[in-house]
Amino acid sequence: MTSMEKRLQKELQAMTKDPPVGVKVNMESLSSNLSEWVVDIDGATGTLYEGEKFQLGFKFTPRYPFDSPQVMFIGRNIPVHPHIYSNGHICLSILTEDWSPALSVQSVCLSIVSMLSSCKEKKLPPDNAIYVRTCSKDPKKTRWWYHDNSV
Amino acid sequence: MGNCFKSSSNDDISLLRGNDHHDPALEPAPFVEPPPPYRPQQRMPIFHPSPGVSRPANQLTEDEQIKIAQRLGLINHLPTGKYDGTNKKAKECVICMNEFVFGDELRYLPCMHCYHRECIDDWLMRSFTCPSCMEPVDAALLTTYQTS
Repeated sequence: MTSMEKRLQKELQAMTKDPPVGVKVNMESLSSNLSEWVVDIDGATGTLYEGEKFQLGFKFTPRYPFDSPQVMFIGRNIPVHPHIYSNGHICLSILTEDWSPALSVQSVCLSIVSMLSSCKEKKLPPDNAIYVRTCSKDPKKTRWWYHDNSV
Repeated sequence: MGNCFKSSSNDDISLLRGNDHHDPALEPAPFVEPPPPYRPQQRMPIFHPSPGVSRPANQLTEDEQIKIAQRLGLINHLPTGKYDGTNKKAKECVICMNEFVFGDELRYLPCMHCYHRECIDDWLMRSFTCPSCMEPVDAALLTTYQTS
C-alpha cells in the first residue's frame, strides 16, 4: 500500500466511525486505491442552504498529503455561492496555496460547509460567466486570486 | 532447470520480436517469463522548487538549485530525536496520521510541533512552514538564533 493509500485508509476509517454532522462519505464512490471519493454534504440548518444536498468530488495524487486534493462540487446541485462557480469549482485558498498536510478530507469538508453557512446572499461569483467558459477542467490549475474573504 | 536454460538462450529474442512467423498453436506450453532485465537506473531525485512543481534534479534552474541547497542546509539545522514517549502531547504524526512508536526518528520545528523526520522533511522541501500552525520555519529559526 502506498503512503497515500495508508493515510486515506485512516481518514476513511475515522470519517465512517465518527462522521461530522452533515458530511458523509459515499462508500460506493470509492475507487479501489482510494484515489477518488465522493462526499455527500447537507446544507446546515438555519443557513441559506438548509435542506439542500450537495456532492463533493475528491481526487488525490500519489503525493497526497503533500499535494492538495482536487476538490469540486459535482452532480446536479451546485450551490449558488459567491465563491463557487457554476461548474463546481471552488475558490478556497486551503485547496491550493494554503494547503497543509495536516489538513484532511474531513477538515476540507468542514471548511466548505462553514463557507456555505456563512453566506448571506446566494449569488454567483462576479466573473462566473467568463471563468466557466475559459477555465481548465482541473480547478487546481486555476491561479485563484482570493479576492475577498468577507463571505 | 529447463526454464533457466531457455531464458538464457538467444532464442528469447525471437520471442520478443513478435509472433509473425510463429503459429501460436505450435508454440510450446507457455513458460514463466524471465524477469525484465535489470537496468541500473540512475534515478534522478525529484525536487519541488515551489509548491505544486516537481522536477528531476537535472532540470532545475541555477536559482532553484541554490534555493534547494539552502533549504537542505536549513532543514539540517532543525533538531531531531528519537521518540521515547516523554512528550505526552505529541502522540501521532499529523502528516502520515500514524502514532509515534518508540524509536521513531522525529524532527522538531521551532514552534515545538514535531513530526516523523521523513514526513516533515518531504514537506519542508516544498513549503518552509509548519503544517500544524503554518508558522514560517525560517523566521522562527532566526529568532531562536537571536535569543540564544
